[in-house]
This record gives sequence, structure tokens and C-alpha cells, in this order.
Amino acid sequence: MKNFLKQHGLWVLFAAAVLSVALAVMSVLSANSSPLVNLTGMIVSPFRAGYTAIATWFNDLQNYYKDTTDLQAENAALRQQIAKNEETIREAEAAVEENKRLHELLKLTQKRRDLSDLEAAMVTEHEVTNWTSSLTLNKGTSLGIEVGDCVIDECGNLVGIIDQAGTNWSTVLTLVDTDTSLGAQVFRTKDLGIAQGDFALMRENRLRMDYLPADCRLLAGDIVETSGLLGNYPSGLVIGSVEEVQVDDSGASSYAILAPEANFDALTEVFVIKSFEIVT
Amino acid sequence: MIARNETILKWSLYAAATALCLLVQGGLLQRLVFWGVIPFLYPLLAAIPATYEGPLAGSIFALTVGMVCDLLLPGPMPCLYTLIFPLAGLCAGLLSQSWLPAGFLCSFVSAAAAFLLTDGFRCLLLWMRGSAAWQAGALLTLREFCVTAPLVIPLTLLYRAVFRKTHFDG
Repeated sequence: MKNFLKQHGLWVLFAAAVLSVALAVMSVLSANSSPLVNLTGMIVSPFRAGYTAIATWFNDLQNYYKDTTDLQAENAALRQQIAKNEETIREAEAAVEENKRLHELLKLTQKRRDLSDLEAAMVTEHEVTNWTSSLTLNKGTSLGIEVGDCVIDECGNLVGIIDQAGTNWSTVLTLVDTDTSLGAQVFRTKDLGIAQGDFALMRENRLRMDYLPADCRLLAGDIVETSGLLGNYPSGLVIGSVEEVQVDDSGASSYAILAPEANFDALTEVFVIKSFEIVT
Repeated sequence: MIARNETILKWSLYAAATALCLLVQGGLLQRLVFWGVIPFLYPLLAAIPATYEGPLAGSIFALTVGMVCDLLLPGPMPCLYTLIFPLAGLCAGLLSQSWLPAGFLCSFVSAAAAFLLTDGFRCLLLWMRGSAAWQAGALLTLREFCVTAPLVIPLTLLYRAVFRKTHFDG
């Protein structure tokens, strides 16, 4: 190789110079690229396309990974948002329910100015034995609740009477319990009697109104309210409606079977009348 | 001293088993209604331990259960269960001592007697207050017993385990 360059180096240099000049002349004269550049480009072009395809594929892969990660993060954030929204909806539903109850109560307190001192309480337990009809409340003597206080629902229907009261709890005997007894009056006819629980009717959620006149003219659906005469209870609280009227065994008086207006099984919140003004 | 410790352990275990049953009654059974009534474990808690422990110890344990029930449950009079449960315990103890050996059958019969005594006394109270309801009372007693009767089996197993643990160990 050394000998070849020593012997023909000058010729090689000359040939290269001639070729360079020829290419330069051709490139000046040619409208497109020179043949050598063209040849080189033709050879390299597929490789360029290959590089570009691979680079694009890598870019796409990178973008896909980034998009997936972003979407996962966004999905997690949206899930949290949905959970928060659902919680808000639940709270709103509870608030709407409470608002409805308080709205009814407001109407009641506007209508009944004598019921000025009410205490709202949650029902924590329904019946605990098969022989009584009772409710347990979450408020007691610490908030001024006393034995004998009347308990009503949000519409002003009588639920029962406080039977026991502890510091932070109290027990209500409902209207249908055999130990409940209070003065009652039929709203339409003004007939007086005593509404009291009857064991045979208790499981059917019914009570009796005793000592009605034998010739009383009650109709099914007549509303019965508290008369305020027997015991220290406010008058005008709705007890229930008449279902049927029967004459007593003695024939001297009648009694009515009443369906309480309050739905004891569905009660979640009640109101205890801590004090009231006697309306004359 | 050892005998005293064993006695304390025995009644502590009976008390723990009873407390467990009270929890089940308050937390679960009270919220279930079958055939129009809720299962009512309390008379069983007075009767079944007495079938294993005899009339005297059984009556005293039933008296304690009765006092707890009077504190927990509303009733027509303040000491209904304190009065009736010792009687139920005595009956159950005598039954297991003289007629039927303690076991499922004895527990079942004792439970029936306890329900009869408790609910019969309630009917008597209603009659004394002028609102007799014998028929409705009898029907409710029957339903209450039928609904509660299946629970005699787990309760007998529970109290039998306590009895065996405290009488055959060591």
C-alpha cells in the first residue's frame, strides 16, 4: 500500500482533483442535486425513514405512558370528587328531611302558641318487649325532660308520654301501651272520654276511647284530640281517628277504637313538650 | 381459698355468658320481628343456668338476672322480673334435680315454664288492673315462646360449656 502510494500517489491525487472539479462543474450545471449527492441520499434515505419511525414510536410510547399516568391521576381525583359529592348529597338529603320536619314544627308552633318549650330528641330504640309499646329517646333530665311530659311528632300528633327519664335518656310509653291513659275529646262532636291502651289492641297499633255516651254519634274518621282534662297534658293534640264505635257490655256507655295518627314504627325524631301554657 | 376462687370464676363465667346474651338481645334480636313478636331471651337466661346449678344457686342467679332486666326493660311494675325470675329459676332447678337431667329437653321445658310464669304474671297484673286480656295474653305467650324456642339450643350449649369448664377442670 505504501509502495502503491509512493509510486502512484501523484496520479491518485490528480484523478481526485479531476473528479472533484468534474463534480463541481456538474453540480453547477445540474438543476437538481449532483449525482454523487443524489446517490448518497438514495442510499441513506431508507435509513432516515427507519430512524424517524423508531423515534416516532418511542415518542408515541412516551406520550402514551404520560397520558395513562395523567388519566389515572385524574380518575383518582374524579373518584374522590364523586365520593365527596355523594357525601354532600347524603348530607343534603338528611338536611332536607330535617328541614321538612322543622318546617312542619314551625307551622305547629305558629299555630299552637301554647307549646312554647319543645325539645327535639332522636328515637334510639323502638319496642324492647312484646308486652309494652315504648320508644327510647336520646335526651333526658339534663335538658329538662321530666316524667309525664307529652311527646309529639313534627305534625303535632301525640306519640306518647314520658314514663322514665334519666340524665341523657328517656323512655316514652306510646299511646297504645296499656299504661297510657289520658283525657280525650272528639273534635267534631265534642264528646269527652278517656283514651287508653288496650292489650288486645296493642299489637294492632290501636287504642280505645272509653266512657263515651251510649248515644254518641261518632263517624269513622272523626278526629280525636287530647281534652286536657285528665292529667297535666295540653289540649288539642291529635291522638288519632275513630275506626269503629261499639256499645259497652253494660249498655250504659260506648267505646271507640282509635287508630293513632302518629306512625310509631317510622319515627326517628320526636319533640318533647317540656312546658305549655293552659289555654282557656 | 381455692374453692372461693373457683366459685368466683364460675359465676364470673356465667355472668359473662349472660352479658353476651344480653348484648345479642339488645343489638340484634330486638330489631327482628317474627310472627309479629320479637324473640325474648330473658326468661331463658333465668331458667337454663338453673338447670345446671340446681334450685338454690339457680334461683339466686335468676334473681340477679331479674334485677338486671328490671333495670333495662320497661314494665307494668318496677320489680316484675325480680319477683318472677327466681321462681322460674327454682322451677328449672327442681325440674333438673328431680325429673329431667340438665340438657336440651330440660332447658326446653324450663324455658316453657319460665315463659308461662312471666307472661302469666303479666296477664294477672292486667286482670288486677281491670283490663283482663287472657286470650290475647295466651296467644302472645305462645307466639313469643315459639319464636324464642329455637334459641334454647345455643343457650343450652353456652351454659353447658360454662358448667363443664367450671366443674370438670382441674
